[in-house]
Amino acid sequence: MINDVQTWVSVAAYTGAGLAMGLGAIGAAIGEGYTAAQANFAVSRNTKLSGDVFKSMLVGQAIAESASIFALVIAVLMLFYKMPDATMIKAASLLGAGFCMGFGAIGSGIGSGLPGGQACIGLARQPSIGNRLTTNMLIGSAVCQTPAIFSMVVALMLIFIDFSKAPLFPTWAAVIGAGLSTGLAAIGSGMGGGFAAGASCEGVARQPETAGPVTTTMLVGQAVAQTPSIFGLLISFVLMFKAFPESTTFAASAGLLAAGISTGFGGIGPGVGNGMAAEGAVRWVARSVENAGGLMRIMLVGQAVSQSTAIYAMVVSLCLIFVV
Amino acid sequence: MGDLGRIHQLIIPVMGHNITLNLEAIVMTWIVIALLILFGYYSSKNRGMRPGTAQIFGEMIVTKLYGLTEDALDKEKAKKYAPLITALFMFLLLCNWIGMFPHMHEPTKDLNTPLSLGIMGFFIAHYAGIRSKGIKKYLKEYCEPIFIMAPLNIIGEMSKIVSISFRLFGNIMGGSIIILVVSYLVYSLVLPPLLIAFFGIFVGAIQAFVFTMLTVVYISVQVK
Repeated sequence: MINDVQTWVSVAAYTGAGLAMGLGAIGAAIGEGYTAAQANFAVSRNTKLSGDVFKSMLVGQAIAESASIFALVIAVLMLFYKMPDATMIKAASLLGAGFCMGFGAIGSGIGSGLPGGQACIGLARQPSIGNRLTTNMLIGSAVCQTPAIFSMVVALMLIFIDFSKAPLFPTWAAVIGAGLSTGLAAIGSGMGGGFAAGASCEGVARQPETAGPVTTTMLVGQAVAQTPSIFGLLISFVLMFKAFPESTTFAASAGLLAAGISTGFGGIGPGVGNGMAAEGAVRWVARSVENAGGLMRIMLVGQAVSQSTAIYAMVVSLCLIFVV
Repeated sequence: MGDLGRIHQLIIPVMGHNITLNLEAIVMTWIVIALLILFGYYSSKNRGMRPGTAQIFGEMIVTKLYGLTEDALDKEKAKKYAPLITALFMFLLLCNWIGMFPHMHEPTKDLNTPLSLGIMGFFIAHYAGIRSKGIKKYLKEYCEPIFIMAPLNIIGEMSKIVSISFRLFGNIMGGSIIILVVSYLVYSLVLPPLLIAFFGIFVGAIQAFVFTMLTVVYISVQVK
């Protein structure tokens, strides 16, 4: 009974669904809590606007929720979709999909709560620019979702692509590694993007006439902060689509698993750090808009240096996949 | 669901080698180019002090992007690079938006399109850097802070191509996969138009803008 492949696929699907939803719920809840806390602050500052602040809080929380909705979709899909191919590789890839979506939703959930909170405070500070503030918040927190979207895509691919023709050893490790790589790397990028978006909402509220340069700097900063999660995506694609020769030695499997883990963990720090660099640049562009060009250049150089650790991690992963 | 990640290819065997053509990307790119040429023709056909609709659109796009290029570079260099930047933005925007029509596919969904545009931007940025700084100073920058770091600096530069092209590719392909899977799950009821509005129009516009701005910024980092 316990050797039945179908049973193992079901076990993996249920475990994966639990992991996806359980881990995926962490981030969004934190982000929404932050938004609500800032909304309280805003209401106490400007009591007359409590209705507008309340609306703004709900919009911000709805967007922060979307990362966990992605996780919910993946979890429900794994619970109820009948897999056409029941193999042990499918079981491994379902587990990988669960890890990928669960970890991937954490960062985006936390990150997209930050612009929502800052938009509430900004609304209390400058009620007249509510529309522009909301637009800025929507753009900022939508871009924060990109790492969660990447993890959802990898999770969907792991669920639906037919791996049954590949040899079980070491492909089982490659598919779990693919899930871990994108999932873990998305944590840092999602949070980092949120820092930049929060600072831009604060900046627009402080100096409404600088909205154009502030939004541009925010987008470039967030885009660079997403680079670690893009490295994770790249490693996942290589792990999923490269045909690995059959090898029953444990070292070959462990190498592929480690390749995913390396880029995944290696991406967390640079994502957060790049977000901090972008946050600083955006905040100061709002205060001295005439230096926007110089600030953006310093931000990019600083981000490139802080990103180098993610590049080292990716180089190690590529070595593990292609050389070792 | 077998369509996931499948590419329609035309494989021509020539003297022992296979030439692979991704038909969808090629045809869609041609359609995008044709539409852009048509737009250019109509927006400049009846130019006048009282502009028509097409002229207003054209002028708006060109002025905005000239302004953005001037902010990042200076006035003189903007004259040289702004036409490229404007064309890049309009091409990418139309590429990302064309997928919202039935039976049309985004050319940017195929990695070849973003990758080639990324490589193009990389070479243009480095050419601009060599032109403005001179080859000696340009090479010296790779040996900072000490010469042992040169290989890592080169890998860092190369990773810019990977990040800029995979960002666009990942977003557009991710959007289209999510639309495909969700439409399949809900039998194409209610949700797909909303998803297309978000992933097609909104994310498409933002990613086209981000790609263009990063190309400008890469040029400006090399130049100064």
